[in-house]
Amino acid sequence: MDIGGEHQIPAAREAVWRALNDADILRRAIPGCEALEKISATEFNARITAKIGPVKARFKARIQLEDLDPPSSYTLTGEGQGGVAGFAKGAAKVRLVDQGEGASVLKYEAEMRVGGKIAQVGSRLVRGAARKTAAGFFANFVAILGESA
Amino acid sequence: MNANATTNSGIGGSVRRREDSRFLQGRGKYTDDINIAGQTYAVFVRSPHAHARINGIDTAAAAAAEGVAAVFTAEHTKDIGGVPTGWQVHSKDGEPMAEPKHPVLAEGAARHVGDPVAMVIAATRRQARDAAELVTVDYDPQPAAVDMKAALADGAAKVHGDLPGNLCYDWELGDKAAVDEAFAGAAHVTKLDLVNNRLIPNAVEPRCAIGDYDSVSGEHTLYTTSQNPHVIRLLMGAFVLSIPEHKLRVVAPDVGGGFGSKIFHYAEEALVTWAAAQIKKPVKWTAERSESFMSDAHGRDHVTHAELALDANGKFLALRCSTLANMGAYLSTFAPCIPTYLHGTLLAGQYATPAIYCEVKAVFTNTVPVDAYRGAGRPEATFILERIVDQAAAETGVDPAELRRRNMIQPEQFPYQTPVALQYDTGNYEATLDQALKAADYAGFEARRKQSAAAGKLRGVGLSCYIEACGIAPSNVVGSLGARAGLYEAATVRVNPTGSVVVFTGSHAHGQGHETTFAQVVSDMLGIDYDAVEIVHGDTAKVPFGMGTYGSRSIAVGGAAIAKAVDKIIAKGKKIAAHLLEAGEGDIVFENGAFKVAGTDREKSFGDIALTAYVPHQYPLESLEPGLEETAFYDPANFTYPAGTYVCEVEVDPDTGQVTVASFHASDDFGNLINPMIVEGQVHGGLAQGIGQALLENCVYDAEGQLLSGSYMDYCMPRADDLPSFQVDTTVTACTHNPLGVKGCGEAGAIGAPPALINAVVNALNGGGHSIAHLDMPATPQKVWAAMQSN
Amino acid sequence: MSEQITVTVNGDTVSARPAANTLLSAFLREELGLTGAHVGCDTSQCGACVVLVDGKSVKSCTMLARQADGASLTTIEGLAGDGGELHPMQEAFRDNHGLQCGFCTPGMVLSAVDLVSRNPDPSEGEVRRWLEGNICRCTGYHNIVKSIRAAAKVMRA
Repeated sequence: MDIGGEHQIPAAREAVWRALNDADILRRAIPGCEALEKISATEFNARITAKIGPVKARFKARIQLEDLDPPSSYTLTGEGQGGVAGFAKGAAKVRLVDQGEGASVLKYEAEMRVGGKIAQVGSRLVRGAARKTAAGFFANFVAILGESA
Repeated sequence: MNANATTNSGIGGSVRRREDSRFLQGRGKYTDDINIAGQTYAVFVRSPHAHARINGIDTAAAAAAEGVAAVFTAEHTKDIGGVPTGWQVHSKDGEPMAEPKHPVLAEGAARHVGDPVAMVIAATRRQARDAAELVTVDYDPQPAAVDMKAALADGAAKVHGDLPGNLCYDWELGDKAAVDEAFAGAAHVTKLDLVNNRLIPNAVEPRCAIGDYDSVSGEHTLYTTSQNPHVIRLLMGAFVLSIPEHKLRVVAPDVGGGFGSKIFHYAEEALVTWAAAQIKKPVKWTAERSESFMSDAHGRDHVTHAELALDANGKFLALRCSTLANMGAYLSTFAPCIPTYLHGTLLAGQYATPAIYCEVKAVFTNTVPVDAYRGAGRPEATFILERIVDQAAAETGVDPAELRRRNMIQPEQFPYQTPVALQYDTGNYEATLDQALKAADYAGFEARRKQSAAAGKLRGVGLSCYIEACGIAPSNVVGSLGARAGLYEAATVRVNPTGSVVVFTGSHAHGQGHETTFAQVVSDMLGIDYDAVEIVHGDTAKVPFGMGTYGSRSIAVGGAAIAKAVDKIIAKGKKIAAHLLEAGEGDIVFENGAFKVAGTDREKSFGDIALTAYVPHQYPLESLEPGLEETAFYDPANFTYPAGTYVCEVEVDPDTGQVTVASFHASDDFGNLINPMIVEGQVHGGLAQGIGQALLENCVYDAEGQLLSGSYMDYCMPRADDLPSFQVDTTVTACTHNPLGVKGCGEAGAIGAPPALINAVVNALNGGGHSIAHLDMPATPQKVWAAMQSN
Repeated sequence: MSEQITVTVNGDTVSARPAANTLLSAFLREELGLTGAHVGCDTSQCGACVVLVDGKSVKSCTMLARQADGASLTTIEGLAGDGGELHPMQEAFRDNHGLQCGFCTPGMVLSAVDLVSRNPDPSEGEVRRWLEGNICRCTGYHNIVKSIRAAAKVMRA
């Protein structure tokens, strides 16, 4: 399943890039994220609670950043184990475009796969849940950037 | 069919069911209703991957969680035998099928979504569920084999690394040379590719199992949702847990529907039985519905290419079929025989086709095991045959009813030897065809088509003339074909001293009403009050033996065993009566519940004889044992062959593709009927499942082997509003080889309905100006609409 | 300490302290031993667990036990009269062979009782649409529909 989109962010590209690599900002921005720990420059461990249709699960996720091209793009891959609820994994290609005047655009294309009970009971709902999560993330992200600005 | 209230409580009476009193008041006792003091609860951790290596399982956190009694993985269960398969099929080259081990908990690899990996047992259900969340499994996902054709290709991902590939067997039946020759000389050949969609049985009661162990006596008890407790005892005791029969009791109490899915021996049953002995506490497991979807054996799932050769007069010359049949990841109990001996052998149908050849490749895939589901092999055969016959009719311009009639086996041809091994004992196929056509007003269809057209709807009519083989038998024949069990049935008839009767039958009931039907048979045969007969089933500690309920065998095999035992009671009663009446045994006749000296008014009632048997003061003790209890094991001489014609009319909405069943008429020949009301109900239920398959139900896996139709939100169960009222009636040709002349009625609807539906939909579309040869099931609005757009 | 609730179940007053996340279906089956309400699914589709809450049919798996505080519940065990005489709906199901395995039956019967209380003379189509939330795998619904309409006739009289 593929989703994608782009968001206007009222911050300079470098600031956005720094925020995208900041564990604390990411933890606060990712909906349902209970913990996010940076274990190396390109690796995070996370604990995220997600609800897809009738299935609510706590995922233990490992997130890796690859193909880093600061401050304009990276590929984020993640794999989450949701215990008896199953698993989710995906990859997102993220690009930042400098708009000048302290603004930038974040574009992403993501593919995502789910398995186990999430696929069984909620597969129809995964796209909607993913869009909602993405929208929540960007709203939070922009708000947090606004605070620190 | 007369289903009105009746005063006849014997054979042929629509007696109201005695089991209803408890079911209607919530007093049924289903497995999950049973609670044993000190019972613990098991929850299974199941693979979310279709195929993965298991590098390790960390159970420490789960084991330390509140209330947890034990956490088991393959490390603990690896010495337990695998779940066995009850039938061995041989390939064309004589080699036995590939038979990989089916461990009770995944050993080193998980092979389908839902494969059990760990078992967590705790004091409460909630604690077990919470602890299961704490089990961490280190999976290494592997490529999965999902599509059957792709699974057979070179280089495909292998479901079982220790096998050469994913082929289980490559089987054939019939005279290939004769078929090829007939095709070479045919005036017309019709070809069809079709899919028999994968279904999920979905008995509304989820599976449940409770293991109990008495450490003093060493006795194990398993309460389970089974259609055949003795078979479970045999398979689990002998092959999985090595528990001798006298230390293993299996109880299948009230069971909320089976439809085949509760025939099989499942790993969870063995695990709760084993674990109860390990932790010295009863262990209960109840499936959640989403667990049922990924652990109950699925049904159907065939992909077939079929060809029918006809001469210039529309006579069938030969049929050939090539089928891929999905086995899933492991071989379930009867899986190998479903696409072979219950499918290939049925391809003659009602027709005198002289030459038939069938080949079946069974394929392992990373999906839930596939096994018998209502009809089991016979719906697949009927769908092929009744679709291709309809297509041949369309191509040759012959009316579908007429083409069928031209090729039907005639009454004087019985017993009829088909070219695919079966010998039909009796039938009158044109009689059911005529009755159905008349009752459905087939002749008046065109007028109704016009009416529908005036209302903007496309109307179609579809026929299906099915045959099925019920009461799978006899044991020596099925043994030679690979069955690892006998297929007889056992019954004990115990006459109590005051003349009441208890019948112990190996035929389990899970909705079929045996407690009523069997009591009717016994009361009728013995001339005693219906209420004086009690039927006991479902407990290996009470019933001497049994092969259980599947393949519409209860009345034809189980009922016949009861009748045989009753015959023995009567024979012994005659000896007692002869002594009491001082007459020769040969002069005693048994009529209307009394033993009489023929041609005189001297008689003894059944009650007198029963009392004398237990108070043997005036009794031939030197030549006859006291007591009045007889057991019979009945091994049928042949299958029984119910047959019938179904006529379905549908309306298709050309704007949406929505198919509505406008009418459905079923004429069936089930031989003699014991309880017409119950028979009618069995037909209704079968029709609903057949219509469900044709229009609504579909099991969907994605390319990675994830089960997408895994809940009632995505797997479309037929609701009341999806179905019409049914018109059903019967004709009778009595079975020639069982004592009751009965054939069986449990699966007919599910076998006969799907092709009638699809024939009707195709007829509707083509009548509306489209040109469509075939539509795969289920004919959903989307599929029908798309077909209309493209043709 | 869990919150105490008081409910009337089949005419008897019951006080209990169910855990906050105990479903009404589990409360009835596991705490009160009323196993007539059956659990056939985990997504609130099958309807085997239907009970009457203040006379209205409710899937007892969609409600927490605590939400029933103060309510009057009728389960299948309480539908027959005190003397054991069957409710006309139960009678009609038996007379018309409206059940086979019996598992969906309690939900069907109670759902039907609610239907007839709202609509004393439902048409075949109305009965079929009403049963959207009750799945039966055995009967093909034919005899269930027949049973409900027969009971409605008796209950109207």
